[in-house]
Amino acid sequence: MAGVSYKWHGKLTPWLFILPTVIGLLVFRLVPIVSSFYLSFTDWSLLGSPAFLKLGNYKELFGSREFLTIILNTFQFSCIYVVGSIVLGLALATLINVQFKGVSFFRAAIYLPVVTSAVAVGIVWNWMLGPTYGVINNIISAVGLTPPYWLGDMKLSLNTVAFVQVWKMSGYYMILFLAGLQNIPSETLEAARVDGANPVQSFFRITLPMLLPTVFFVLTIAIIDSFKNFELIYAMTKGGPGNSSNTLVYDVYLNAFVYYRVGFASAIAYILLIFVGLLTIGNLYIRKHYAQPLD
Amino acid sequence: MKKKLLAILLVLLVISTLFAAGTKEAAVTDKEIVLDWWTWDPDMVEQNKTIMATFEAENPGVKINNTMVGTAEYWTKIRIQANQNRLPDVFTMSSGYLEEWAKAGLLYNLDGFIEKDDTFDVFYKSIFDTNKATSGTDSYYAIPFALVTTVLYYNKDAFDAAGLAYPTNDWTWDEFKSAARKLTIDTNKDGKIDQWGYWFYGRYAHIEPWVFGNNGYLVDNKTMRFAPDKNAMDAIKMLTDLVLVDKVAPAQRDMTSFKQQDVFPQGVAAMWIDGSWFVDILRKNLGDDMRWGMAKVPTGPNGSKDMTYGWPDSYAIAPNTKNPEMAWKFARYVAGEGIDLDVYMAGKIPSAKKLAEDPLFADPKKQPGTDMNLLIEQAAGPMKNSYTMGWSEWRGYGGSETLGLNGTIDAIVNGHSSFEDAFNKGTKNINSVLTRYYK
Repeated sequence: MAGVSYKWHGKLTPWLFILPTVIGLLVFRLVPIVSSFYLSFTDWSLLGSPAFLKLGNYKELFGSREFLTIILNTFQFSCIYVVGSIVLGLALATLINVQFKGVSFFRAAIYLPVVTSAVAVGIVWNWMLGPTYGVINNIISAVGLTPPYWLGDMKLSLNTVAFVQVWKMSGYYMILFLAGLQNIPSETLEAARVDGANPVQSFFRITLPMLLPTVFFVLTIAIIDSFKNFELIYAMTKGGPGNSSNTLVYDVYLNAFVYYRVGFASAIAYILLIFVGLLTIGNLYIRKHYAQPLD
Repeated sequence: MKKKLLAILLVLLVISTLFAAGTKEAAVTDKEIVLDWWTWDPDMVEQNKTIMATFEAENPGVKINNTMVGTAEYWTKIRIQANQNRLPDVFTMSSGYLEEWAKAGLLYNLDGFIEKDDTFDVFYKSIFDTNKATSGTDSYYAIPFALVTTVLYYNKDAFDAAGLAYPTNDWTWDEFKSAARKLTIDTNKDGKIDQWGYWFYGRYAHIEPWVFGNNGYLVDNKTMRFAPDKNAMDAIKMLTDLVLVDKVAPAQRDMTSFKQQDVFPQGVAAMWIDGSWFVDILRKNLGDDMRWGMAKVPTGPNGSKDMTYGWPDSYAIAPNTKNPEMAWKFARYVAGEGIDLDVYMAGKIPSAKKLAEDPLFADPKKQPGTDMNLLIEQAAGPMKNSYTMGWSEWRGYGGSETLGLNGTIDAIVNGHSSFEDAFNKGTKNINSVLTRYYK
């Protein structure tokens, strides 16, 4: 390979091969990203031409108490999702990281909600969480407790949707952790066992530290995924009651496709982009400096 | 060299495929008139095929291209078409956007056509006039194919079981409440209500019929601000009391596991007020499993018996259509002049006289039988609705139904806010929306 030039003007053929992809990325990614940045400074209903507002949309957003609620909801959802998916994903991976007849069935069963439509998941959980006829509340009533309004209580609705999202996606993180677990040499674990470590000590002193690169990888993905919560919120609560389960992504949808305030929606999207960007940079920094593979 | 040539050919192929996808499907001969027709109801696909076939047979040289867009995506897609100056020749128009589109110059002014032909011999003028009023202009910008109103649906089996007479079109609020009390039943005595007398939440079709039926208004049409008068507030208070005081209707949060339109047909509530288009849906979904009827929404103490809450569903013509005469002819045809009842959605009130006056409109063999005549009576009377610019946002509709006025009323019945607090906060939020549209 030595001596092969990859200067941009040096070889035409590679550029020709990637041209369709580059065109696709420009048309469907880069142009919308740049356009929506411009639109975030405008008032546009899709009908006429965008009217330039300077910082009008951003001023309106940061002067609104509802928007503050929506930001806090977004981070609350994100925290529940990230912590829940990592803990549950790791727990499931640890449980399933054994060999017995039929283990593939359990792995597939746990993974199934990941590939199930979020709308279908939302509808089924809506039934199960129903205040009067739902199976969960009937079980709670049967043991003599007063069941809550999982989706109708302003303090519970966001947590409930976040939990369902954790339930739906934990199978995905389980697969990632499982891959990480299976890379840990069995000799190391065996040596720990011979040295007298019990399973709990072995997990926290050997498995978890050796799994740290995977944990940080999963953390990055989970943080980004935690902001993609539109479908389940739409299917389960429509952001309600009131604004109690409304998040930045859902608010982008409302403003862009229900109210047709496209400029305003673009401003919200850019604020979301800044949050996700900062979190990802922070995560990459931690990963680079504190999560080097132990070997 | 061969590899380079192959690569260039491959890239050209991909690019040409991309461009080809964006061009017109087929060439059109000079004499052929092609009309693009956009509709929003995918359930009507078969009916639309029949309509197109008959129109094309009656008008040689005319080709209709129907694009059926799902209701949820329709407005986004057609707005983009409008922005690109590529509106279809004829397209479905909602009363909710009529004012915005008419004032933005995106609809063909139909006054010229209407003046020079027999439009009002064929269609009800009153429905056209409702459209004119909704557009906030002095012109006709859409041709209504239907009037949609709201009615009281009731479960005849439940009324019979409770030994109650069926609702009449003269029912008062007190008579309605009395029946609702008797229909609220804990069948198995476990302390939980098994059948509610009535079901509603903050939805527009559940609230406005009572408001306008009590001669109230929500938006002051002089200031264009949300300022419900006493009659409107009395109607809303009466409704919220059904949940909080009379306990004959469930709170919205008790019904979160249902689609709102399933509560009545599932027998969970014995009465329900919603759009007349649910006649078609109830017929299809319920069959003979439940006997049900239809009556006028009870008139309030300050209301007028002939006042109805309703709005037209219409077709509009693109302002830049190349074939305005043919587009008008087709719009009239599809609005009812050229079609039969069997391709018309039951429960919508035809704006074409021949359809509305067809004896089969109130087919006694189909539920709710002759109760359907109520719809024709309502169409003849005065009509009001709450549509303004920005309506979806301030009213709380579709994806935003937990907000706006819908969210305000739900907050009261769910016990999240007192009536006064909810309306103080709601009024401020609603007016912040209206202020953007009406400076």
